[in-house]
Amino acid sequence: MLLQLNNIFKWVQQGGQRVFLLKDINLEVEEGEFISIMGPSGSGKSTLLNVMGMLDTFDEGEYNFLDESVHQLREKHRANLYKQYIGFVFQAYHLIDELTVYENLEMPLLYKKISGSERKAMVADMLDRFNIVGKKDLFPAQLSGGQQQLVGVARALISKPKLILADEPTGNLNSKQGEDIMKLFKQLNSEGVTIIQVTHSEKNAQYGKRTINLLDGRMV
Amino acid sequence: MYKLFLKIATRYLLKNKLYSFINIFGLAVGIASFVLIMRYVNYENSYDTFEGSENVQRVYMDYTEEGVFVPGDAQTYNLSGPTLKETFPEIKEFVRLSHITDVTFRYNNSLINNEKGALADPSYFDVFKYPLLKGDLSTALKEPYTILLTESLATKLFGDENPIGKTIEVMLRGKTLFEVTGVLKNLPENTHMKNDFLISFNTLMTWEGYPDNPEPNWNGNNLFTYIKLDENTKVDVLKKKIMDFKVESLPYERHNLEPLEDIHLYSDKPYEAEANGSASRVTFLLSIAFIIIILSWLNYVNLSTAKSLERAKEIGIRKVAGAQKPQIVVQSLLESVLLNLMAIAIAMLIVLLVLPIFSTFIGKEMTLTSGHIEDFLPLLGFLLLGTLISGLYPALVLSTYAPAKALKGTIKTASSGLTIRKGLIIGQFLATIILLIGTIVVTKQINFLQDQPIGANLNQVIAINGRIMGNEVDSLVRDDIETLKNELRNLPFVQTTVLAQTYPGGEYDNLSSSVGITYPNGEQDDTRIWYNYVVGPEYFTLMDMEFSAGGPFLENARGNSNQIVMNERFVKHMGILKMEDAINKTVKFFDEDWIISGVIKDYHHFGLKTGIEPMLIRYNRNVSNILIKVNQKTISTAGMTAAITQIENKWKAFFPKSTFNYTFLDQNFEAQYNEDKAFGSAFRIFTFLAVLIASMGLFGLTSYTCIQRRKEIGIRKVNGASIGQILRLLNKDFVKWVGLAFIIAVPISWYAMSKWLEGFAYKTTMSWWIFAFAGAIALVIAMLTVSWQSFRAAVANPIEALKEE
Repeated sequence: MLLQLNNIFKWVQQGGQRVFLLKDINLEVEEGEFISIMGPSGSGKSTLLNVMGMLDTFDEGEYNFLDESVHQLREKHRANLYKQYIGFVFQAYHLIDELTVYENLEMPLLYKKISGSERKAMVADMLDRFNIVGKKDLFPAQLSGGQQQLVGVARALISKPKLILADEPTGNLNSKQGEDIMKLFKQLNSEGVTIIQVTHSEKNAQYGKRTINLLDGRMV
Repeated sequence: MYKLFLKIATRYLLKNKLYSFINIFGLAVGIASFVLIMRYVNYENSYDTFEGSENVQRVYMDYTEEGVFVPGDAQTYNLSGPTLKETFPEIKEFVRLSHITDVTFRYNNSLINNEKGALADPSYFDVFKYPLLKGDLSTALKEPYTILLTESLATKLFGDENPIGKTIEVMLRGKTLFEVTGVLKNLPENTHMKNDFLISFNTLMTWEGYPDNPEPNWNGNNLFTYIKLDENTKVDVLKKKIMDFKVESLPYERHNLEPLEDIHLYSDKPYEAEANGSASRVTFLLSIAFIIIILSWLNYVNLSTAKSLERAKEIGIRKVAGAQKPQIVVQSLLESVLLNLMAIAIAMLIVLLVLPIFSTFIGKEMTLTSGHIEDFLPLLGFLLLGTLISGLYPALVLSTYAPAKALKGTIKTASSGLTIRKGLIIGQFLATIILLIGTIVVTKQINFLQDQPIGANLNQVIAINGRIMGNEVDSLVRDDIETLKNELRNLPFVQTTVLAQTYPGGEYDNLSSSVGITYPNGEQDDTRIWYNYVVGPEYFTLMDMEFSAGGPFLENARGNSNQIVMNERFVKHMGILKMEDAINKTVKFFDEDWIISGVIKDYHHFGLKTGIEPMLIRYNRNVSNILIKVNQKTISTAGMTAAITQIENKWKAFFPKSTFNYTFLDQNFEAQYNEDKAFGSAFRIFTFLAVLIASMGLFGLTSYTCIQRRKEIGIRKVNGASIGQILRLLNKDFVKWVGLAFIIAVPISWYAMSKWLEGFAYKTTMSWWIFAFAGAIALVIAMLTVSWQSFRAAVANPIEALKEE
């Protein structure tokens, strides 16, 4: 078991009333799964993803990640946990504009006390694997959207996470580019990486092995 | 439309209270400091300016020292004025002023003490354009024993009575009657020659109270000479001619000229009419003023551009709604003018509140409107110009935002804008570090001066300034003083007493300067100035002055002595290397033979701003200052007041009508550094303000950077960066900028402070730690300011930053 959510609730106070963002979410994810989360805007997809990624907190319930009780962990430990096991892919890629492709890939490694030569090898490996060696000295602005997302995925993968959380990874791409990314995900999944993606597209959801539907913060 | 602009502006200011406060307050503090310093600078520059003052020059004497001419004396000879006027047709008029102090006036029952004034030629009013309120200009100062009083002195003496034609008693070494022939308008405070009264110059010929210069001569230079030049005179040419002009009886001296307007700031010669100001001090403060005002404006630019990102959306909406670029610029400019005007208003309030304190502190009577109102207009113009320029930059930045991007919130300013801001921050740090180094050096120098041994012990020594009023001066006065001195010694808390003409730290005027001495080897020296004063033999013990050889002079049977004591410098000048060799040698001056009884170690008579001069101390009973050494063991600080009262009672018993004046010698000596201390405090205060303003700017820039790098910070955190790592990332740049500013600041401040130290004969060292310390302070301040903001950015939840897009 990779992670387990038990009776997760998350709300915000608005005008003296609780507005639920997540309502009684129960979810178990095994290693090697490929899950698509679907639902209309505002249904809580991204919130759920952020909770699983430990970027966001929740108000009630239990969250176990690799037998650690996330809800009982201190912030610092939580950060260490996701730093080690989780990679993120965003709709807007979120590459650092002032850094080159190479530096963007290297950045997560800088925060993991990995030696310079090892970093070099890991980045080279990633560039190779994604066929972007020729672009390593370019800045994000010089790349197409598809290429930027490719770098985004590569960066998420570079520290060899067990889990990839992708928030509408193809949202800003055209269909061809989107398809490429999805194929890539499928391939990664077949290599053993667990993937959870949020998507609006039925077609992209098909790449997953399981689909979770959300409506108003509830699983339906 | 403008009404709408104003509405938006005020609402915006009210909404962002912290930002508005920092911005307005920072500007106000900057403007207030600037205006205050400019008032002081204008005041110092306004000395001796009146209609035609640019054509007035002061004549002074150059003396030779080691074969070269150096400024020797601010005062000139009786004949200097008339002779120069006769020789050089360019000189239209000359006036001689002989300064007199401690004059007492009496009219009927009103008695006025301690007034100062001068004997002046009738041409006074041709040279100085000071108006006469009552009396006749054509006859004023013409007849002997006539006097002009200033308005305030006349009121003190006569009340509402008309003083013209009245006879008053003038007491100065005896009583003389003078006729008041006019009332002068009070002289302005900003003149180096402050007079409460003027006496006709020809009174001097017969006046017993003033026995020094009976006939016009080249013997003693005790008076100031001012000349008025023809408007078309080339001053440089005339100055050269006057310097080349030889007076036969003065082979080692020459006349020289200096502009009247420059005296206050640029002249520091022996025997000035008053302690003058200092041009370098004014320049220093002026630089600080400009640094502060520029810092404030840079801040304003920084803060506004930082804040403008937040307003991108508003700009976008307005552009979509059809606003053109110029309208956006105008609106933004209007806002900055509004903000600046508020700041100026608050600044004026601060100035009004602080000016009285600042005045006492600087030691000058200043008001906001004193001087000329015209001086004030350029200041205001300058402030408005700065407002426009500093408002224009953020306005232009804002107006270039593309509306679609601005609406989506994807605005990122060009990196060139960042470069400008980086430059601004480095500039601010540069200024801060320079000011910090300056403050430390000034403080260190003042401490150094105070800690320096002066070669005499002035602690617990009281000097009674024996100003005996005219009607108490008689043939027995010397005996009275002598008896008083001896009686004071018998007081239980008094260790010893002595009569002395002057003492270390005493005024220049109390000391005699002479030229002309024959050395023991027969060599005649007519070129070098030496100083001398007379004291009783116990003086050296009382002052704890150390003898290198010999001892104090001894009184002979006639109550006199032909023995003298010299300082080491004098002995060395005579070419004698071993001090013992000087003992019992004979020198000749004042047409008499004198035997050297002792040589004292060099001590600082003039304070540490000037070097050691050749000094000769003689014995004479004919002096009226009494020095009292109080026994430290038997008197507490509290007991001192009681002791002074006892001393005063003794004095009153002898001289009931004369005022009792006393000073503590150590305080008096320290007072020489008062101006430097005031300068030091001013430096400290304005440095503090500059640092405060710079910190505000930094605060602004950090918040700007944090907003700008929000996304990056979020990404890095999501990818595993810790808070510490983010802090380091954000603060690293600032450390770099402080470092760069430091490297530039060191040579600049080293140069500037070396220049300042040149004004002191004894200077502290510019140790490396001064620079390191200033750099460290700047770094700590920068880090504290920056971390406040960057910490907030670092702990923020990254998804907040990332979900925007």
